[in-house]
Amino acid sequence: MIEKLKKLAKEYLVSGKVEVIFGLREKDNHLAPHIFTKVEELDSLVVSPQYPLFYTCRPSKKNIIRLIEEKYPDIKIGVIVKGCEERALIELAKRNQIEMKNIEILGVACSREEAVECKCPRPYPNHPLLGEKVEGVFEDKNIEGLLNKGWSERLAFWQSQLSKCIKCYGCRNACPLCFCQDCAMEQELWSKIGEIPPEIPMFHFIRFYHLADRCIECGECEKACPMDIPLLTISKQVRKDVKELFNYESGLDVKQESPLLTTLDEMPMKEGANE
Amino acid sequence: MIEYKNVLTVCPYCGCGCNFYLQVLDGELVGILPCKSHLVSQGKLCIKGWNAADFVISKDRLTKPLMKKNGKFVEISWDEALKVVTEKLKQYSPDAVAVLSSAKCTNEENYLMMKFARAVLKTNSVDHCARLCHASTVVGLGKTFGSGAMTNSIGELEDADCIFVIGSNTTEQHPLIARYIMRARAKGAKLIVADPRLIPLTQFADYHLRQRPGTDVALLNGLMNVILKEGWEDKKFINERTEGFAELKEVVKKYTPEYVEKITGIPKELIMEAARIYAQAKSASLVYSMGITQHTTGVDNVVSCSNLALLTGNVGRPSTGVNPLRGQSNVQGACDVGALPNVYSGYQSVADENTHAKFEKAWDTELPSQPGLTVVEMMNEAAKGNLKAIYIMGENPMLSDPDIHQVKKALENLEFLVVQDIFLTETAQLADLVLPGTSYAERDGTFTATDRRVQRIRKAIEPRGESKPDWQIICALARKMGSKGFEYSSPAEIMDEIASVTPIYGGIGYERIEDIGLQWPCPSKEHPGTPYLHQGKFSRGKGKFFGIEFKEAAELPDADYPFILTTGRTIFHYHTGTMTRRTEALNREVPTGYVEINFKDAEKLNIFEGEIVSVKSRRGKIEVKVQVTRKVPEGVIFIPFHFAESPANALTNSAFDPVAKIPEYKVCAVQVEKKPSLP
Amino acid sequence: MKEFEPKIIGFCCNWCTYAGADLAGVSRLQMPPDFRMIRVMCSGTIDPLFVMEAFQKGADGIFIGGCHIGDCHYQTGNHRTKKRVAILKKILSYLGIDPRRVRLEWVSAAEGQKFAEVVTDFVAEIKRLGPNPLKRKFEA
Ligand code: SF4
Ligand code: SF4
Ligand code: SF4
Ligand code: FES
Repeated sequence: MIEKLKKLAKEYLVSGKVEVIFGLREKDNHLAPHIFTKVEELDSLVVSPQYPLFYTCRPSKKNIIRLIEEKYPDIKIGVIVKGCEERALIELAKRNQIEMKNIEILGVACSREEAVECKCPRPYPNHPLLGEKVEGVFEDKNIEGLLNKGWSERLAFWQSQLSKCIKCYGCRNACPLCFCQDCAMEQELWSKIGEIPPEIPMFHFIRFYHLADRCIECGECEKACPMDIPLLTISKQVRKDVKELFNYESGLDVKQESPLLTTLDEMPMKEGANE
Repeated sequence: MIEYKNVLTVCPYCGCGCNFYLQVLDGELVGILPCKSHLVSQGKLCIKGWNAADFVISKDRLTKPLMKKNGKFVEISWDEALKVVTEKLKQYSPDAVAVLSSAKCTNEENYLMMKFARAVLKTNSVDHCARLCHASTVVGLGKTFGSGAMTNSIGELEDADCIFVIGSNTTEQHPLIARYIMRARAKGAKLIVADPRLIPLTQFADYHLRQRPGTDVALLNGLMNVILKEGWEDKKFINERTEGFAELKEVVKKYTPEYVEKITGIPKELIMEAARIYAQAKSASLVYSMGITQHTTGVDNVVSCSNLALLTGNVGRPSTGVNPLRGQSNVQGACDVGALPNVYSGYQSVADENTHAKFEKAWDTELPSQPGLTVVEMMNEAAKGNLKAIYIMGENPMLSDPDIHQVKKALENLEFLVVQDIFLTETAQLADLVLPGTSYAERDGTFTATDRRVQRIRKAIEPRGESKPDWQIICALARKMGSKGFEYSSPAEIMDEIASVTPIYGGIGYERIEDIGLQWPCPSKEHPGTPYLHQGKFSRGKGKFFGIEFKEAAELPDADYPFILTTGRTIFHYHTGTMTRRTEALNREVPTGYVEINFKDAEKLNIFEGEIVSVKSRRGKIEVKVQVTRKVPEGVIFIPFHFAESPANALTNSAFDPVAKIPEYKVCAVQVEKKPSLP
Repeated sequence: MKEFEPKIIGFCCNWCTYAGADLAGVSRLQMPPDFRMIRVMCSGTIDPLFVMEAFQKGADGIFIGGCHIGDCHYQTGNHRTKKRVAILKKILSYLGIDPRRVRLEWVSAAEGQKFAEVVTDFVAEIKRLGPNPLKRKFEA
């Protein structure tokens, strides 16, 4: 498949359909994002479910695509994306964080095994040029156990998990959808500063709540956590709830607005949800 | 056309050696991307690592050489700067000059700096701040094992059955090592933590031994007493692989749990339980840091740790060992390449005739054979007027050294002080001449992580203004002074020279470490590196026991100074704060210094959270904000040392360990006073 | 043992619920001594972070009162309230905080009686649920 992708990328470059290709490159046994400008470079092109193309750049809090768009408004960029990355781009565009006007998407679907490893619910972009759309993963092993437990057991579980937190902000930094200039997690108003662990569960609640309608389930927050806190467990569940309550999924369509920003008339809510 | 690159490099902060990519767009640093395929960090970082791009682009960076004229700094050209330094340094005899190298600089630069001191200035007075953190490790483990470094690898911690953490607030000082401790715990390992303070690890510990500061030897002897009494020692290991056991046995006899309880304040039942857990584990790792080393009995403490591991056969196997965690990104490397007054690179003694001859031949010059001065001794000699000039690269003794009033006097007493740094630090402000160096992001080289892994740092962006990488400055200076042997075209070439004269680095070369690095000893180009030391045989042959008696700290609380002050760090800052305090995300978390005081003591003194109090010792006095807490026990207060406005080291005692010369940062007697309210 | 007296925070919209409370004559109601009413300009201004903050600070229950759908003085402020509270309750439940500790009610300025009823009912419910489990941290 990677050979097919290289061929495709080459066609895009040679035909002038795009001027550069943004994708993953392998160098010295490590993978990192790269901008391919020449055909010869494409030899080192790879795709991997484990490596995302972009986190939010800090301190600017802009996506790298945005930074490129700002500097090179006219350049045509081909971006090789997996399902999660496409969702991130769509959600960012929806929220005016990127323009996407000169972006050509080269979508690649992941395999079922890869999806299982990532716990990905939708391991394919909207229109994959390569690979098959396979079924995603909706459950997380923690949540089943958790939902069978009583309140106090759940709380105890999270208290012990979250008290491992070292306030690295990795979960936020790795999230493609955390782009606020003034992040609430940093504010003394909500969570005491200068202490680890941070206030429990407030510190983490901020992210769970703020990402409720933005999270595209890429799992990078959990993967970035040095303390192995199962953060995705809750985000996954909340995203599922948003779908059930509003029949809405983030990251699928630029034109579809978030239910939390719209009225009940525009996007109604399933009844009985406030009980 | 767009120029976008991701440059893999090593975090400039602690010794965990995490890797990340510096994201560069058209020559500008735009972000940090963790590296998922790196062994230790695995795509995770602590808050300092995530924000390590901030200080690089700080407005405060030095961009031109500065010279002090009439008490004010003026910008001068490199030519003039090098001329002034050359002329000045040439005036003094070797005994009157000294050099401070830096644990924040690369191996190549430290090697060059020590070569500069020895081959150009003809003095062995070269040291760096490892003196202030792990000198006792180098001496202590050198005596017992023959090698003063972390015995095992960071990742191995995950598979230990028992982890004994003593004198290390791992979560805050080495967050990514704490990750492996927590993973071990999740897999069922038992965790024993000995620390006077409540630290993030203690809430996950199976046993928290809360010793009175400065009583570690008694505690360790107590554990060994129990182990011997119950017959839990590893007899086979002791017979086959160690010596000096009889001496140890004799000494620990009297350290019964009852006796140790009296000294340390730890209930005897806890001591007995902890001894059992440690001794009966299949593989037990001991982890320590500055809580062990920074005492007048630092070497004794280290040797006692090693005694315990030897007694139970927990050395020379995976997931065991005695693991000192080194504080700074390259403090291990700076020691390895010989930025120490008594050894060349690879811990080869300057007093040894063969070594001396070897280096004279390799460098083609005459070399001094007397060991030089340590940091603390340099300051003393400067104060007395015997030392006239110091060349400091990337260090800030004005905050990091003990008893800084004394340090200030000493530095002011010098005839000539050159400081090479990236910021105008408290120390640089005292200099006659300041040379602008580059940050980690602007140069190539290697750092050696705490588990002896030599890793590449890579240049991502161009140096700021006219600043230059330290290796280039040293070479230019050496050449200007008329010395040969400083014509390198790149740091890779310097590493090749290091490998040629340093057996433990013998097989290391850039071509072998582009991807994951190598752990020394790595004596030849074919050698795969060494994940854990002392397998089958100790570096010195046999492991050696020493019977160590408990001694009290140099200064104990009394009626005038009733509190014990202990100093340390927080996760949000690093060392003297020159980099972290220029990082918004870190400054926001902890903007200034504070003193932790137990709530009962606070009540007695009638002081409240947030109030400014004065803390006084026999050496100085500072004013600092109060944090009322349960983290410190009654009678003990804690102050982080990062902050120039409330410098903990104005209070600390410069009394030092007789052998390692490491100062006692962890215990001194102080008084806390409520400030009289305004009328 | 002393009977559990719950601490309850009531965020009430100025235009409806707050006025409704007045009509009910808060003084005549059997309000728990620790019912603190906070007047907001619209239920739509209540950030769920405030709710979590109240729990964190030791509240046992949080009451949110707004205008009936269609009556909001800012047209659709309460539409968002309704949606947010739904999400908030889900997250609370996963974290192990009983979502019944948060109650959203629409009470108009004319519904003094309804206000009295829902508050009484809520207080009884919180009494049944017992103290906020996050509070234990402070007392330890
Ligand atoms: S899975 Fe985590 S990192 Fe990814 S979008 Fe959701 S919250 Fe952000
Ligand atoms: S956690 Fe919330 S405030 Fe912080 S960056 Fe993410 S969305 Fe913004
Ligand atoms: S990544 Fe993990 S440790 Fe870091 S702030 Fe998030 S939850 Fe805490
Ligand atoms: S004004 Fe009452 S809910 Fe909006």
